[in-house]
Amino acid sequence: MSGPAAALALLESRTLPAALRVVLVGNPNTGKTTIFNRMCGARAKTSNFPGTTTSSRFGRSELIDGRALDVIDIPGVYELHLDSPESCIARDVLQGGGPFGRPDVVVVLVDACNITRNLVLVGELLAYDVRVVVALNMIDLAQRRGLTVSPGVLARRLAVPVVPMVARKGEGIDALKIAIGRAVERQPVPRPADLPKGDDSVELLSAWADDILSEAAGGPPSDASAFDTFTERLDRTFTHPIVGILAFAATMAGLFWTLFTLATVPMDLIEATFARLGDLAATYLPAGPLRDLITEGIIGGVAGTIVFLPQICLLFFLISLLEDTGYLARAAFVMDRVLHRFGLPGHAFVPLLTSHACALPGIMSTRLIPDRRDRLATIMVAPFMSCSARLPVYVLLTSLLFAGHPALAGLAFAGCYLLGGTAALLSALLFGKTMLRGGARPMVLELPTYKLPSLRNAVLTAKDQGLAFLRTAGTVIMAICVMMWWLSAYPRTAPPPEVEALRVEASQPGINSAQAEALTTKADALEQRSAQAGSFAGRMGRAVQPVFAPLGYDWQLTVAVLTSFLAREVFVSTMSVLVGAGSDEVDEGVIASIRKATRDDGSLVFTPATAASALVFFVLAMQCLPTLAVTRKETGALKYAMLQLGYMSGLAYVVALIVYQSLRAAGIS
Amino acid sequence: MPASSVAPIRLSDLGVGAVARFHEARLDREITRFLRAIGLTRTSEFRLCKNGEPCIVQVRSTRIGLSRALAGQIYVVPLASKGA
Repeated sequence: MSGPAAALALLESRTLPAALRVVLVGNPNTGKTTIFNRMCGARAKTSNFPGTTTSSRFGRSELIDGRALDVIDIPGVYELHLDSPESCIARDVLQGGGPFGRPDVVVVLVDACNITRNLVLVGELLAYDVRVVVALNMIDLAQRRGLTVSPGVLARRLAVPVVPMVARKGEGIDALKIAIGRAVERQPVPRPADLPKGDDSVELLSAWADDILSEAAGGPPSDASAFDTFTERLDRTFTHPIVGILAFAATMAGLFWTLFTLATVPMDLIEATFARLGDLAATYLPAGPLRDLITEGIIGGVAGTIVFLPQICLLFFLISLLEDTGYLARAAFVMDRVLHRFGLPGHAFVPLLTSHACALPGIMSTRLIPDRRDRLATIMVAPFMSCSARLPVYVLLTSLLFAGHPALAGLAFAGCYLLGGTAALLSALLFGKTMLRGGARPMVLELPTYKLPSLRNAVLTAKDQGLAFLRTAGTVIMAICVMMWWLSAYPRTAPPPEVEALRVEASQPGINSAQAEALTTKADALEQRSAQAGSFAGRMGRAVQPVFAPLGYDWQLTVAVLTSFLAREVFVSTMSVLVGAGSDEVDEGVIASIRKATRDDGSLVFTPATAASALVFFVLAMQCLPTLAVTRKETGALKYAMLQLGYMSGLAYVVALIVYQSLRAAGIS
Repeated sequence: MPASSVAPIRLSDLGVGAVARFHEARLDREITRFLRAIGLTRTSEFRLCKNGEPCIVQVRSTRIGLSRALAGQIYVVPLASKGA
């Protein structure tokens, strides 16, 4: 069952008799989401429309008389007859297409500060055979600007109920419900006689709307009602070539400082909880494959993904607050100056910056980008940004590359970030000239009114996005984790004889506790190395090692590359196990062990050329299956996830090959 | 009407504070339709609030931001009797 159908089925199952179906339609920034949240609260689900990546929200409410309402909040739309996905969805819903059925009532939001343009949409809606209720929102703001409109006159001219509202304060919600209840008992009214006919008559509809507004406002609105010095000043500041960038940098610094500071506490809590859960399972379940599956495959795998939930919720909470203020639209223009040259829109900055923490929330936040082509371009390049999971790999490899030269290691570390960012921008440029032709759409945006953000909206947005992430983490990502664990853990192989010999030695009388512990640790490391080497992943590593040989990788390094497809940080633990370092943390002991690790022929696994090649590979490669799952979900097509995997892996391979062979040719091996 | 006797100019050449009327957009059809949908129709007057990157115009109470490249491809007719 598709997302929306499942959401509606869930709602249906809770109410008898069948609920009334209400669709919220309106221009962007008219307060639709606020009204939806006021009507439905937390009882809402977000789903994509079938065959699209455009999401809408479905919720349950009830009328004053107790009748149930299914409320569908479709994306904001300026006109019904545009070619945009939002307009297509609106037309489809109005005609009863898709899984929603024909709406009983269409509530159209009208911004009281911008009545003429909003009435154009009302005029288009009146041409459909549907019951319409107009919610005249933000009347307080209009009054402050000296614009007083008579809802009665509007209702008479439009021949539909008009409800004045201040949705942000919850004013008018009950009146709206009463109007919906009354409207559903009447037949749709005929379209007003003076409503212009035809689909392509925006100018005529605008003139019709102007005429209605003049009558409802007691004369043409004066220019003074539209002029707002405060907005003028803020716009000039936030879009200024220098001040605008400084304001943006300060805003982003504040956002990410808050994100990383506040998310740390729940992330630590989640890690500790899952670790405790794993310990409990290990304690109470009998030893065997089932225990290993639950503790290492399921709990271990899911913990590694769920740990990002606080970051995702907090990020969307903060973005929602920023978006509500009206600032983000201005910030998009500031960054558009830079990103547009590479075929990316200004909106792409937040997803790209977020991807430095983790590509999962980064890709999810591309929903901010209105144009599908621009959204796809951003999703495709976001994983190039160096995420936090790459950090331990960078620490390990830069330490191996520049042993004893911390300054050079630091420079190489910073270079990784630079390389990732450069690869993202150049790849966006390449995609713009090939599969996503045309470059980013020239920026044109309505600049919404500045206002105080709604805490309620932000909380509900964070909840929705968190649940959406959990659904992915609990299904696709968990399946991937289990599969990768299985490949790394099976088939079980008997430990080599040295293991048993070490254990026997450790239990001999005369061996003190420190010596016994050292021997046991060595035995454990040898056993793990043997198990890793004998596993399917280990065997695959040996089988495909010839492919990685031109990059300088032996079978151990190849196994580490393969297992880190689950998540990049697995590289460190795999290398640690394979070289018998006995720890999966990047500390001096592990680095020293890995530095001394040898190949089957006795030469070092990591020469400077190999370390540089591996470092470049990990900067550029798509070594994160959960990211691919999220790309698949957000783009609505498997082909983009596969393309991302193929492109990034291919690029990583080629660049790593060039680095390795060049260094060898230069005598650095 | 004075507007009809004034030659269209690029939006990017309009002075800040000037009032003008949309004439044509030498852009692809989709963007042109979108401009009309958000309020830049042939019949509506607008005021230029800011020039440069971005260019900001106000149609009634709607503020619209446009990239400078886009503003360079939009032709408008200044209304001599209004604005700066």
